[in-house]
Formats: sequence, C-alpha cells, structure tokens
Amino acid sequence: MKPVPLVLLITSVLLTTHIPLSTCRPRDLSLMNSQLDDVLLNRAGDDAMSYLVGEKLLQYLQRNLGAQKAGGVLHLPHFPTAQLRSPHEDNSLEELTEFSKRNDDPPISIDLTFHLLRNMIEMARNENQREQAGLNRKYLDEAGK
Amino acid sequence: MSGTSRAQLCFLLLSVTALRGHARFLDIQDNEISPEGLLSLLSSELKRELPEEFVYRRALRCLDMVAVEGQFTFTAVRPQLNCAVFFIGEPSDIISIEYDSVTIDCRGGDFVKVFDGWVMKGEKFPSTQDHPLPLYERYSDYCETGVTRPIVRSSQNVAMLFFRLHQSGSSFTVTFRKLINPFPCNVVSQTPEGSFTMIIPQQHRNCSFSIIYPVEIQIGELSLGQHNDLKRSILGCASSGDFVELLGGNGMDTSKMFPMADLCYSFNGPAQMKVGCDNTVVRMVSSGKFVNRVSFQYRLLGHQELQQMKGNSIEDVCLRA
Repeated sequence: MKPVPLVLLITSVLLTTHIPLSTCRPRDLSLMNSQLDDVLLNRAGDDAMSYLVGEKLLQYLQRNLGAQKAGGVLHLPHFPTAQLRSPHEDNSLEELTEFSKRNDDPPISIDLTFHLLRNMIEMARNENQREQAGLNRKYLDEAGK
Repeated sequence: MSGTSRAQLCFLLLSVTALRGHARFLDIQDNEISPEGLLSLLSSELKRELPEEFVYRRALRCLDMVAVEGQFTFTAVRPQLNCAVFFIGEPSDIISIEYDSVTIDCRGGDFVKVFDGWVMKGEKFPSTQDHPLPLYERYSDYCETGVTRPIVRSSQNVAMLFFRLHQSGSSFTVTFRKLINPFPCNVVSQTPEGSFTMIIPQQHRNCSFSIIYPVEIQIGELSLGQHNDLKRSILGCASSGDFVELLGGNGMDTSKMFPMADLCYSFNGPAQMKVGCDNTVVRMVSSGKFVNRVSFQYRLLGHQELQQMKGNSIEDVCLRA
C-alpha cells in the first residue's frame, strides 16, 4: 500500500474512534460503587428499607461523582484533610482509603444529606416503638402473674 | 437465727434503706431470705438494670442510627474504614455509651471514638458556641481512655460513634442507655411535628433546638427575665443579654445559619413563622441573671406551602414567611 493513503486511513480511523478522557471513567465508577456499597452498608441480612436507603445513597454518590468529573469536590465520607487533587487518581477508592489512613487525629466527620438522615431517624424511631411495644407486653405479662 | 427474728431484721434493714429514698427488692423464695438478698440491700448499686432477657440486642451496621436502648455489636467481616453510628434520644434524654467488650487493634490504626454531638459535612451540632466543652474534648477515643473510663456521657440527646476496623474478625460491643436530663439545653428533634418548652435556669449559656425539616414555628409563650421593654435597641436583640432567635439553614452548625427572627421581650400571645429551610433552629441566649423560658410548637410545611413560599419570596436564602 502506498504511504499516503495508509496515513490517511490510519488518521481517519484514529479520528473516528477518538475516545474523550471522561468516558474512560465508568469502569472505575462501578468499581467504586460496589466497594462503597460494602463499605457503607452491610448487605447481609438487611431489610427492604435499608436497601432503599442504600439505593438512595448510591444515587446521591453517583450525582456527586458526576459533579466531580466536572471538577467539583468529592463528597464521600472522608476526613477534612483528605482533599483529592491528583487528576489521575481521583476515582480510585484505594487512593481514598490510603489518604484516610493518615491517622493523625483530625476531627472526624461524615457526609450525609438531610434526606438520608431523616430516613434513618424514622427507621430508628420505628425500631424503638416496636421494641417499646414488645417490652410493654412483657411487663404486662410479668405483672399479670 | 429464728424465722421471726430474721424477718424482723430484714424489716429493720428495709426501713433503714427506705429512709435513703432508694428502691430495693428482695427475692424471697420458699419463705427463706437468702444472705445474698440481705447483702443486696446494703449495696449502693441500684437495681435499675433490666433483667438479661429484656435487653434489646442487635448487630450494628457501618452506617446506622439507633434510638432504642440496648446492646449493640459490630463485627467486621471485611476492613471497614469509615463508619459512623448516630444515637438519638428524646429531647429530655442524654446518651450514655458504655464499652462492654472491644477487640480492636489500636496500634494497627483501628479506632472507636464517641463524639458528643452530631457531625455532618464538617458541621457540628451543638456548635462550639453552644457546647460547654472545646472541640477536641468532645471526641472520646477508646484507644486512649476507653479502658479507664468505659462509660461516656453526652451533654444532649444526640451522640455519635465513629470507628475503623482493619482486620476482619475485629469487633466491639457497646451498651446504649438514655438518662434523664431535667433541663435539656441542646436538642435535635426526632420528628417534624411537636412541641417543646426550653428553660434556662439562671445559667450563662446558649441553647438550640434543631428541627431538621422545613417547619412553621408557633411561639406560644416567651418569658425572659427582664421586664424592661425599653432595652430593645433599634439594631435588634443582639445587645440584650437574653433573647430568642429563629435560625434557618442547610447545615447542622447553628453559628453558620441565617437569623430569621429574634425576640427579646416577654409576651404571651402566639407568634408564628414559616421557615422553609432544611434545618430550623430555635435558639435561646441567656445571660445567667434570669430564668428564661420559651414554649413553642412546630409542624411540617407541606409541599404546596413550600411552593407558595417560593413564589412569594424574592430572597434566595431559605424561604421564610
């Protein structure tokens, strides 16, 4: 083959298949989601409500990760000192955990939305009321003896 | 010792302990009073513990919220590096967390810390202005003080537990109890509707009641020590040592929230205000010279009301009406 048509062919192939950098992320995203899911919520033996909560949390995180692609700040549970700056390592959960291993006693915090917090409070209240009802029944049984 | 003299001795002991005002009980089986029963009268340990079968137990999750008293265990099946458990009680409770058994590797970077309050996105409730302790004293680390001081008490109805476990198989168990607080100062409301009376009895402190919902607040009664209305300056209540302010914002920290209204004179009629923020706070500032009291009710703002407020309001900063 002559060199010029070959070069043209290669150039046209490269131009049509050019993949912008941002679309290389999805693989890491799913990796991070599954690891985060495990990190934040213990899957074994949870009821439907905590599954829904987990789903909401994942949606929230995906939205935030989308914002981070555009250069925003990552709102994952982290220490205030652990600001990720390296563009190559942004989406790596391993890097996050490496940063957070810097255990030099900073004030610790957690990132949650009010929506998630409200749902958690409601679940906890339901648990409390169920337990109190059960206790009341036991006390009445004891008193009746 | 004969039966009657033993009974008389027990009666005497009961009367003596009854004078101290503490409750005791004796387990009498087969009309015999055991020596253990007698000795338990003399011990100062109050029998407030529930019998073993009544204690509520469950496993903790990495991200969890607990509102029920009981014993909670977390066992790591894989490394868990960023976990938090929120505790919340009724407004008039304070939280007591006791470490029952902790098997973690402190030197390997594991930790279990109790925080006196709630922290979200770096914002703390109660804020540093409203809490008696400085920030670093509000974190209590098991690895440092957990063995010598196994019981940690909060100053208000909320507390948090942060933990990190690297090894699978590490675990810890804590007992969560709620104790009565006669003058609750900082409160996070569990519900979007309710009522509360906050009393600050001649103490120089600031107290916040936080409702993490958009609500309409109706202040029924406000009694601030001074009766001199002339003290209120044109600039507002800040110059007065005792006042109540309504704050609204989208974070937990009351010092970063926007003032919606302030009141520094006593009144009796209801005054209401709608605050369309994610977090609505009624905060009372007290100089310590008087007994200050405020009673209020709150109810959740419906979706339609919020839409109406958005339509009416020209301001961007959390809707108010």
